[in-house]
Amino acid sequence: MQGSLKLLAIGVAFAIGAISPVAGVAQDKAKVFKDREALMKQQGADLGAVKGYLDDKNDQAKAQAGATDLVQTMKKIPDVFPQGTAGGDPEGKYAAKPEIWSNWNGFLAARDAAAQRTDALVTAVKTGDKAQIQTAFAELGKNGCTGCHEKFREELKK
Amino acid sequence: MVSRAALAADPDAVARGAYLAAAAGCDTCHTDSERGGRPYAGGRPLATGFGTIPTPNITPDKETGIGRWSNADFSRALRWGIAPDDSHYVPVFPYVFYNRLSDADLADLKAFLDSLAPVSRADLKGAQSTALAERAQAAIAVAATPAPGPWRSDPQQDAVWNRGAYLVASVGRCDDCHTPRNWLGAPDSDRFLAGNKAGPKPTQAPNITPDAETGIGKWSEDDIVGVLTDGHTPDFDFVGGAMAEIVKNTSRLTAEDRRAIAVYLRSVPPQPSPEKR
Repeated sequence: MQGSLKLLAIGVAFAIGAISPVAGVAQDKAKVFKDREALMKQQGADLGAVKGYLDDKNDQAKAQAGATDLVQTMKKIPDVFPQGTAGGDPEGKYAAKPEIWSNWNGFLAARDAAAQRTDALVTAVKTGDKAQIQTAFAELGKNGCTGCHEKFREELKK
Repeated sequence: MVSRAALAADPDAVARGAYLAAAAGCDTCHTDSERGGRPYAGGRPLATGFGTIPTPNITPDKETGIGRWSNADFSRALRWGIAPDDSHYVPVFPYVFYNRLSDADLADLKAFLDSLAPVSRADLKGAQSTALAERAQAAIAVAATPAPGPWRSDPQQDAVWNRGAYLVASVGRCDDCHTPRNWLGAPDSDRFLAGNKAGPKPTQAPNITPDAETGIGKWSEDDIVGVLTDGHTPDFDFVGGAMAEIVKNTSRLTAEDRRAIAVYLRSVPPQPSPEKR
């Protein structure tokens, strides 16, 4: 009895294993698009907190929390760009270009450029000096975020 | 890096020219940065309608750069897209917009380029001799562009607005991408900055008139200054594609000049896009 149950369990496991890659690909891709967008939005919100401090809309603590979180989200970028997930949510505005995977090292280098400037931003936010923060923020924007979007993101035509 | 010729030149003119070159981003195209090329020495492969061509060397090298050019040669090249040998440039070189540069600004730009150390790029010589049809098309487009010629200030407007208008029209050349083209290939002045689905290839340029729904009417002056400073939009997205390159130029402007552009852009006639983007 126990032996046959075990066999059944193995059989079920095999069946799931055989079916899921087929049924799962489209679903996984949709999930990747969602996770990708969520991560980017989170990064946007983090930067918004830093800019909010510059514009006297929120306090320094919130800016610091944003900048610190940004360090973590930068590390997660490769996780939301698994192989075979070029494109994007058709309802959305942007798509990931195939160049990400054909030039994976270039993509990682662009991420590293952004990550480095994020570290500099954390340091600047800690000082509370707005001129320093503004410089670090602009540096991250023009050579980090836009650097990656310039090469690896495209707009979906509507 | 400063050549002997520069010592004789007016340092103020060189500095003003350097600012204009940075604002226009001459170095963006005229530097082969991917392969470690020297600034302004050309060689960056640029995709055009007639294949990929390397950008020319605009350092003052006498044989392979612009070292033998007179001020008149330079003005004709920048305003009309015609080289000293009478050949026409392909329109990826945005001379339609540099047409509006003032005489003084053109002279300053030349003074700056002349102050650079000459770099010899014999490897690039003659690389642009193809693309005749596209050059002819460009010549037609510039001839069809309404009211070309040096910029004239609008006396009804203040100095800030006029500065913004001049920057947008000339070195900023916003309408190169953001204004749809008419059938002659010239920017359609009736749809000024109303967005261009066809460009810059392979993407599209959004409507940047103050239309609230399809343009940037909901953007404040600070929002526009923000995107020009570091590329961030009001919802903390960051621009990509061709605009990311433009931000590298606008980030080098003074804060006052970015503000002037924002003031001007908020004043242009709002134009709804035919369909929502």
